[in-house]
Amino acid sequence: MTDSTIRSQIDSDRVRNALLHVFLYGLAFLMAVPYLYTISRSFQPNELLRDPRPYWIPPLVGEPVTLEHYQYLLNNTLVVEWTINTFVIAGGATLLIVVIDSMIAFSLTRLDWPGQGAILGIILASFMVPYYMNIVPLYQIVADLGLINSYWGVILPAVASPLGVFLLYQFFRDIPEEYEEAARLDGFSTFQVYTRIILPLAKPILSALALFMFVYNWNAFLWPLLVLSNETAYTLPIGLVNLYQGNIDTPGLHMAVAILGSLPLFIVYLLFQGQLVRAVQMQGATG
Amino acid sequence: MGITNRIPGGETSANSKTVMGIRKETIEGILWSLPYLAIFTVFLVWPAVRGLYMSLHTYPNKFDLSQTEWVGLQNYVELFQDPVFWNAMEGTFLFVGISVPLLVVLGLVMALGVNKNVAGKRTLRAIYFSPYVLTVAVVTLVWAQMYSTSFGLVNYYLGFIMENPPGWLTSANLVMPALAFMTVWWLVGFNFVIFLAARQSIPERLYEAAQLDGAYGWRAFKDITLPQMRNSVVFVVMVQFILQFQVFAQPYVMTQGGPQDSSDTLVYYLYRSAFSQQQFGYGAAMGYVLVAILIVIAIINFKVIGDSND
Repeated sequence: MTDSTIRSQIDSDRVRNALLHVFLYGLAFLMAVPYLYTISRSFQPNELLRDPRPYWIPPLVGEPVTLEHYQYLLNNTLVVEWTINTFVIAGGATLLIVVIDSMIAFSLTRLDWPGQGAILGIILASFMVPYYMNIVPLYQIVADLGLINSYWGVILPAVASPLGVFLLYQFFRDIPEEYEEAARLDGFSTFQVYTRIILPLAKPILSALALFMFVYNWNAFLWPLLVLSNETAYTLPIGLVNLYQGNIDTPGLHMAVAILGSLPLFIVYLLFQGQLVRAVQMQGATG
Repeated sequence: MGITNRIPGGETSANSKTVMGIRKETIEGILWSLPYLAIFTVFLVWPAVRGLYMSLHTYPNKFDLSQTEWVGLQNYVELFQDPVFWNAMEGTFLFVGISVPLLVVLGLVMALGVNKNVAGKRTLRAIYFSPYVLTVAVVTLVWAQMYSTSFGLVNYYLGFIMENPPGWLTSANLVMPALAFMTVWWLVGFNFVIFLAARQSIPERLYEAAQLDGAYGWRAFKDITLPQMRNSVVFVVMVQFILQFQVFAQPYVMTQGGPQDSSDTLVYYLYRSAFSQQQFGYGAAMGYVLVAILIVIAIINFKVIGDSND
């Protein structure tokens, strides 16, 4: 190879790499535009909201900024109550999922009893049942149990999801038997094996699962919409949409409520991004 | 405790005890499974069974669901003759047909790009994945403003390059593409992180070996990357088909199925039938038809992308 061909090879690599950066960062910018727009509009005074010109933050000199939309939301809507409701429902569902999913995954992998193969088969098969197919009969069952407008009516169907069982089953199955045998010889009870051996080893996967389930249940839409018909019981997603459909002509308000509604999860995301990403990647790896 | 539990031959204590002739481990196994199994049975298995029953009945009294009337397959027959159902089917397939290929291809391109030698991988990943943590309620609220015909961001910029930019949510031809595009923005990060993990787990030596044979670029992608990532591609395609097929909130919040029913979807119609018109048997039948369609799609998917390249 001559000098000039090597140089042109290096040059073309450099150009290609530069183009790649332009593409990836350009895409990232485009994906961030809705965020910037939402933030900017949420601070824009009502009289300027009819102006389609975007109003970027920080504002140019002389462009007025207002907190009126946020003040209105905090004073005149139940957005704080909705946040608390969502926290209780998503947190309660997550806690239950982590506890009972890990219990059954433990039972299916570390205890030996007749029929466990069939039970595992049924749980795996239920993956094929799309969630929405069940909403009509599920609604009747939840109504029969008197759980309409109750947190439990949202939490319990969410806890029935087989995803956590499946992920934990795969992880527990791969924990070497030797740990447990040694513990049994030292006189550990089944409960002690679960709390002192399995759970500590499973900590990373449990926290990833918990985080994913928290986000998933925080964001759930159709089911809470059906079960929670009382305004004081709404979760954030339901409250947000109701507010929107009630005042279609107040864009600043919608943008402010979008910010308030996503802020809690965005903070969670910034703090625990790695775990959340891992929870998603685990699903892909098992698929 | 202690010496009495040590059974010759490595048997552990839990295996050996019996209560009334049943092994203690069997009892423990069932007890440990019971909390999940109880909830699973009541809230997942039982509805699936009861849905079948409901789909074969009508409910003449909307306020008293204990009154049922056996109608056999009539709900299903009516469904297949219902033009609203077929229109919703068309809308759903249009939405799926636009969103799923974009979600998969763009997710793959982003993952392969970030996997290369680029600066700021963590920042890119954080931005790409971030819309996924938003609730669909926020996504629809924000994009309803972005798409607004006269005051929206999209048309403000389009106004510089064209006269009278279109009404994205008010034009029958554009509304589904607009909803699908928004959904790609919202969910592509999920596919991106799965593809990124799959790409990173391919051993680099495979590429080094291929380079010796002169396989770069497109050929390396076709011969190494795609086959090695096949499992994750199959998974992502399946998940996205199932998810996007059940699209509901986007038309429910943003368009109410309009204009002229052009953004109606199957789950939105199911929701209206059962919960606005109180036709519970009809809604349950639609649920079963949805499952049947998804099973057919799953089989086609596995046939098309699951078996090739073996």
